[in-house]
Amino acid sequence: MEQLIQLAPLLLVFPGIGVLFNGLVGRKFIENNRTTGEKWTGWFGTAMAVAAFFVAVGLFIALQAEPEEHIVYLFDWFDLPGVGENGFRVPWAMQIDTLSVTMMLVVTGVGSLIHMYAVGYMHGDEDFSRFFAYLNLFLFFMLILVSGSSYLVLFVGWEGVGLCSFLLIGFWWSKREQGAEGKPVGVLNSNAARKAFITNRVGDFFMVLAIILTFWAFGSVEFIPVFDHAIEIFEHSEEIMLFGNTYSIGAVLTVITLLFLGGAAGKSAQIPLYIWLPDAMAGPTPVSALIHAATMVTSGIYLIVRSNVLFEIARASGTTVLGGLTSNDIVALTGTTTALIAGLIAFTQFDIKKVLAYSTVSQLGFMIAAVGMGAYVAAMFHLVTHAFFKALLFLSAGSVIHGVEHGHHHVHEHGHHDQDHVGDSHAEFNPQDMRNMGGLRKMMPVTFWVYMIGTFALAGFFPFAGFWSKDEILAHANNNPGWVYTVVYYGLVLAAFCTAFYMGRQIKMVFFGKPRSDSAEHAVESSPTMTRPLVVLAFLTIIAGLLNLAHFTQTSYENAKAIENEIQLRLEHWLEHSVEAYHLAEEGIINLPKTPTVLQLDVALISTLLALAAIFLAAFVVYRNKPEKATDPDPLERTPIWWMAVLPINTIAMKGIVPAYNWLAYQAAYTLDWRFWHDWFHDRVIRDGFVAFANWLGRTFDLKAIDGGLVHGTARLVRGTANMFGQIQSGYVRNYALAVFLGVVAILTYFIFAYFN
Amino acid sequence: MSEFNGILTVLTFFPAVGIVLLLLFNRGGGESAERNIRWIALVTTIFTFVISLIVMITFDKNRAGLQMIDRAQWIPQLGISYFLGIDGISIWMIFLTTFIMMLAVGASFPLIEQQTKQYYVFMLLLEIGMLGVFLAQDLFLFYVFWEVTLVPMYFLIGIWGSKRRVYAALKFFLYTMAGSLLMLIAILYLGVSNETFALPALIAGRDTFAGAQNILFLAFAIAFAIKVPIFPFHSWLPDAHTEAPTAGSIILAGVLLKMGTYGFMRFNLPLFPDASAYFAPAIAILAIIGIIYGAAVAFAQTDVKRLVAYSSVSHLGFVMLGIFALNEAGLEGAILQGVNHGLSSGALFFIVGVIYAQRHTRDIAAYGGVWKVMPVFSVLTLIITLSSMGLPGLNGFVGEFTILLGSMDGAAYGPTPWIYTAFATVGVILAAVYLLWMFQRVFMGPVDNPENKKLRDINKGELAIMLSFLLFIVWIGIAPSGYFDFMTASVSQLVESVSAGAMVALP
Repeated sequence: MEQLIQLAPLLLVFPGIGVLFNGLVGRKFIENNRTTGEKWTGWFGTAMAVAAFFVAVGLFIALQAEPEEHIVYLFDWFDLPGVGENGFRVPWAMQIDTLSVTMMLVVTGVGSLIHMYAVGYMHGDEDFSRFFAYLNLFLFFMLILVSGSSYLVLFVGWEGVGLCSFLLIGFWWSKREQGAEGKPVGVLNSNAARKAFITNRVGDFFMVLAIILTFWAFGSVEFIPVFDHAIEIFEHSEEIMLFGNTYSIGAVLTVITLLFLGGAAGKSAQIPLYIWLPDAMAGPTPVSALIHAATMVTSGIYLIVRSNVLFEIARASGTTVLGGLTSNDIVALTGTTTALIAGLIAFTQFDIKKVLAYSTVSQLGFMIAAVGMGAYVAAMFHLVTHAFFKALLFLSAGSVIHGVEHGHHHVHEHGHHDQDHVGDSHAEFNPQDMRNMGGLRKMMPVTFWVYMIGTFALAGFFPFAGFWSKDEILAHANNNPGWVYTVVYYGLVLAAFCTAFYMGRQIKMVFFGKPRSDSAEHAVESSPTMTRPLVVLAFLTIIAGLLNLAHFTQTSYENAKAIENEIQLRLEHWLEHSVEAYHLAEEGIINLPKTPTVLQLDVALISTLLALAAIFLAAFVVYRNKPEKATDPDPLERTPIWWMAVLPINTIAMKGIVPAYNWLAYQAAYTLDWRFWHDWFHDRVIRDGFVAFANWLGRTFDLKAIDGGLVHGTARLVRGTANMFGQIQSGYVRNYALAVFLGVVAILTYFIFAYFN
Repeated sequence: MSEFNGILTVLTFFPAVGIVLLLLFNRGGGESAERNIRWIALVTTIFTFVISLIVMITFDKNRAGLQMIDRAQWIPQLGISYFLGIDGISIWMIFLTTFIMMLAVGASFPLIEQQTKQYYVFMLLLEIGMLGVFLAQDLFLFYVFWEVTLVPMYFLIGIWGSKRRVYAALKFFLYTMAGSLLMLIAILYLGVSNETFALPALIAGRDTFAGAQNILFLAFAIAFAIKVPIFPFHSWLPDAHTEAPTAGSIILAGVLLKMGTYGFMRFNLPLFPDASAYFAPAIAILAIIGIIYGAAVAFAQTDVKRLVAYSSVSHLGFVMLGIFALNEAGLEGAILQGVNHGLSSGALFFIVGVIYAQRHTRDIAAYGGVWKVMPVFSVLTLIITLSSMGLPGLNGFVGEFTILLGSMDGAAYGPTPWIYTAFATVGVILAAVYLLWMFQRVFMGPVDNPENKKLRDINKGELAIMLSFLLFIVWIGIAPSGYFDFMTASVSQLVESVSAGAMVALP
């Protein structure tokens, strides 16, 4: 089995080959022959993803036998022996354990399906091969992120996926069509891409500081040594030496964990850094599904689960900030607030993908809340099920968009024009606007049914996957004492209600009623290349609850546990091997909040009833009246609905911070640096001052004091010198050089004389 | 006293062979003569590069002090000697110089069409000066080389530069000259009062002038600060960079600025250790202002070359922050970041040169959608931009991170060094802001300007130069430990020497 684990680097090699193939020669294939070229490049990229998936499966099998972590060392990255007590050494190494393999399976599994789907979705795109090169590059970095054995290697993946996100959000940067505010769509796309990268960099700012602080506090940035050292210090109640002072481990870890929260908030789109994710929908839909729903955005959750030891020791140390909150409480409350706010914003959206984007933000809030409460398994469980159903929803939404676009082309080609219908003129038609849809269940039956399955899972209906994972988080919140847990519980229940409501609204607007545009009326079902992965994902969405199915009685739990010691299938037992906090709790070193082992009927019932109520409510209230115009401004930009008045973060960022920085930078560049420092100070003060002095020397002083006085010869010399100085501004530097040279000679002569005397 | 290995002398003066060949032969004009001139210059720099590689191969990484010493009496009455030596602090600067020079000469091939012979003579003369600066171990000799670099650069900007070249050249010259005069006085004071100009001897006897070390420190520091440049001495830089010919900008950013940071490490730290610790917070604050200010000002530029120029102010701020952390991580990071900045910014100036040669404008607004017409060039540019931005896995990150790591442990920065680190790290965000903004406006978006449709992708020569930059950008990014190995011994000796001489407690 050990040999099998040594194959782990192949995980990176396959996507790497894919990048090289599609990046270097893919375009040639397509230029030679469009059809076969697309087949080659598309399926080659897909094959690399599938190959990586098989490697992950191999690792999964290997871990069944030896579930403890394995380190696969590649080569040294940093090695500075003189830094810190034991040197700063960071190898390129992979940590293969149950947590990282879980992430690998999700990334490569969902990734493979999305690659497959993209072959159909991107058909005919002029940069087809570039798209697959980027997708493979994304897999490469994402796998570095989840497999790195140190915070620094994780950070390589962390920023790498940020780069791929940038490249893929801005994938259509050359589109010329008019978009919002009269700007070409290409410019808007690249703006969105840039916004994503920079917002993520704000999170990375915290990450960098967290990693550096971790090194100085624990003498390493590799996971295992850091955690071991932290546990050791905590057990012996030692203090940490930092900057010549001693600090308690609780204080240090509170700072570090809050910094990690900052990083996670950037990548996992939490308040206040979520603002990039809705804009990220500018990218092609497979990208939204893979990067901005299923995998990359869950990195923040992975980071916190990975750092569970640090978070739990911070909790156990009892260090609090902001009047009694541990850093874990802050994590949980951040997640809850995000879940709720984003859930509310989602039902103001008209863009089919933006609804799902806010939904993703909201669901990530659930996961962050879960890790903040110490429900690591529940968070990972929800991460996995969410990856399935949200990828499903995005890809289905892509299928809807594709279908409506087809309808639009059909209408356009056949010259239908119906002025009554909303926003159907060619220039402004937006195939993603749900106001242009309606009644699609008849035209796109497969898409409709898989979309319904995704919706049920997201809304948390029994027995779909989302029900089980969301319920576990809610039960955990309900099961633990303290006002924070109460707030989280009610906050999340409310967010769950919102979830069902906005999804109810969405399916009503998209699939039910009558078509509200010619394009919707002529929409066609997508090709099998696209629908097949949807069916697979739908199947996974139905059964994924089995991964960590709740038990109905304590006996069934005990029985199952006895059997499962043999087979590591159930997520709870499988992850136990890498979530060190569970061991620490067993050994009594820390006190971990407990997730109930048995289904909590009251919690399950309340959330199910609320979800049902919400979805029916949505069905009743949405679109009873005449639809609004598709050309209306984005609801987020409109004057505040009450909740947006409370938290207009995007508006503050884009209308406050960004213009403020622009203004400051321009002031600094032109007023301060150029006009004042460069021109005024240097030209007026220094140069003119010098010239004035030289002139004074040459004319006034020379004429009156010297020329009118003692020796004429000296006077001429001085005037000559002064004129020479005066010529500097005309550019004869050799004169100046000569003066300097003479000066040097003079000084040297002086020193030589001083020396010999 | 006398010791002569010879290789460093050969290295330093090898470009003179090229100068002689250029001056002796190639009289008259004509296409073939022009070609000979170019190739003589290129081959000379290639040979110089090869000699520097030989130096690197024979270099003993485990020894801390000077190696391969060439030393002979020069003006014995004054204690002035011809004294060259190399150690872990200068070895990467030597590599950087010969490497950048080779590419800069190569980059000049299609760009320099008038007075070619003089141009390449000045280039080779500049190389001698720069190598001398990094190898001289005698203060007087160092000063001579320091001034030697000034003259060819002045003419390179003044003759082959763009519109406001005379103004820029003059400003460059005066600014640097003004700074170096103070240094000259300090050097003369040190040399005369100690009866030797040899650096090791002066360091050994540094207690004799410890009383005056603050003022001496400042005299050196101002010369170097102007060269780096540290905020607020940066005003010559946007002019010089913008007006210089492409190769001039590459060399300015790649090597000349490093003469400043190198000077701090070579002279200020070991000669005036207590003053170094005393001034460390002040310099670090200026460095951090430079990081943030440079990034903000770069963001607002409309001229792409000036944008890259201001980015140097920001990047060199990191280097200064690392140096005055006065610990191993900081110094090693600073040395490597010097190399990194030379590669990334040198490459960025080359990139600007490539599109400038075709479009004759540096106005960012004149571009847009270049990726569509120049795909290969644009992808390579993206990687170089990312390296400048400090993307992990590429070289910039390695240097920046090591510096930030060191700065948080900088005992010279008082009890709260993390404040310095935190403010400096803001530069990491701002770098993404200005570089992506530049990249987006030049390379992304629809191709609106018909002029841009006529752009041709890079040719083989340009590709070779970009790939040469990229080779090291990636190599340092993923396997920097081989690079750090060269400096470890020397840097730890320097750190010990500084902390032994500093009154405040340093690690």
